[in-house]
Amino acid sequence: MRDDPSVIALVHRVCGGDQGAWNELIERYAPLVWSICVRYQLERQDIDDVGQSVWLLLVENIADLREPAALPGWLATTTKHECLRVVRAARRHDRHGLPPEEQMPPDLSATVIEQEIIDAELNAALRAAFAELPASCHELLSLLIGDPAPGYAEISEKLGMPVGSIGPTRARCLDRLRRSPHLSAVLYNQPGSVKLKETRR
Amino acid sequence: MKDEQLLVALRRAIRARESVPADFVTAAKNAFAWHNIDAELAQLTYDSTRDLDPVPSTRAETASIRALTFTSAHLTIELEVTPDSLIGQVVPGEASTIKVQPKAGAETAVTTDQIGLFAIEPIPSGSFRLHCRTDSGVEVLTGWISL
Repeated sequence: MRDDPSVIALVHRVCGGDQGAWNELIERYAPLVWSICVRYQLERQDIDDVGQSVWLLLVENIADLREPAALPGWLATTTKHECLRVVRAARRHDRHGLPPEEQMPPDLSATVIEQEIIDAELNAALRAAFAELPASCHELLSLLIGDPAPGYAEISEKLGMPVGSIGPTRARCLDRLRRSPHLSAVLYNQPGSVKLKETRR
Repeated sequence: MKDEQLLVALRRAIRARESVPADFVTAAKNAFAWHNIDAELAQLTYDSTRDLDPVPSTRAETASIRALTFTSAHLTIELEVTPDSLIGQVVPGEASTIKVQPKAGAETAVTTDQIGLFAIEPIPSGSFRLHCRTDSGVEVLTGWISL
C-alpha cells in the first residue's frame, strides 16, 4: 500500500496554505516530473512548460485528491499527459512529410511510468531518511556514495576516523538508514512485490 | 536490502535529485503563489518557429521574427517578436494589465490600450511568463517563454 504517512501529512499542510510543506513536496517529487519529461526527450523549454502546467494543476487540484497517498501516481499521469500535449503541439506544426507512424508521439508504457513512480518513491524516502541521519553517518555515507568512492585510507584521513572503525560504522549507519520510518513505508513496494501489482492496477 | 544494495540505491537517489536543475525546482516552489490567484493557464498553441510551412507568408506586416499564440478558455494572447520589442494583443480585445514575470529578477507591468494592444520593451532576456488581467477580471497566465 502506498500510505506513506509523511506524504499524507504534507498534503494536508499544503491544503492549509503552508508554503514550507509545498516546498517539501516539490523536493520530493520534482525528480519524478523531471525524469518523465526526460524520457519523452523534451527540450528544456518544453520541460519548463510541462512543469509549470503540472504544478499549477496540482495547486488547483490538491484539495480534491481523494487519497493524498495517490499523489505520486497522479503526478506521473498528469506529467505524461502534459508531455504528450507538448509533443503533439510540436508535431502539428511540423509539416515535413514524415510517415504517419513517425508523426505519432512516442508513448511510454504503463510499466515504464509505474517503474518511474516506484523509483521516485524509493528515492524520495531514501533522501528523507538520509537527511535525518546523524552528522557523522551523513558524512561517511556521503563519501561512500561519491564517484569514484574514496578508499578507506582516504576516508580515514578526511574524517579523522581509524580505518578499522570505518567498516563497522558504515554497517551501523546503513542499518540506521534502513530502519528509518520513511523507508519502511516504501520498502515493500519494491519489484517482486505482488501486492503492489495488485493495488496499482 | 543488503548493505551494498542499499548504498547503491542511496547513490541513485541522491543523483536523481542532483540531476534536476535548480531553477526547475525553484519555479515549482514559486508555483505555490498561484494557490490564491484565480488565473487560468494559457497554453502555447502556435509558435512560428515550429511552423515549417513551405508556402511563403503573404502577410505584409514588417519584420516579425517570431509569432506565438497562447490560448486559454476565455482569452487568447498573441505575441509578435520584432527586432526591439515584443508586441501583443489580448483577444477578445479589452483594456488589461500585463505583468512580465521573469524566472529570475523583478516583475514589471504594462497596460494595454482599449483593444488589448501592448508592447514590451526591451524584449525580456531569459525565461519569463506573462500574467494578464483584463479590466473585467479575467486572469490568465502563459507558459514560460524564451525568446
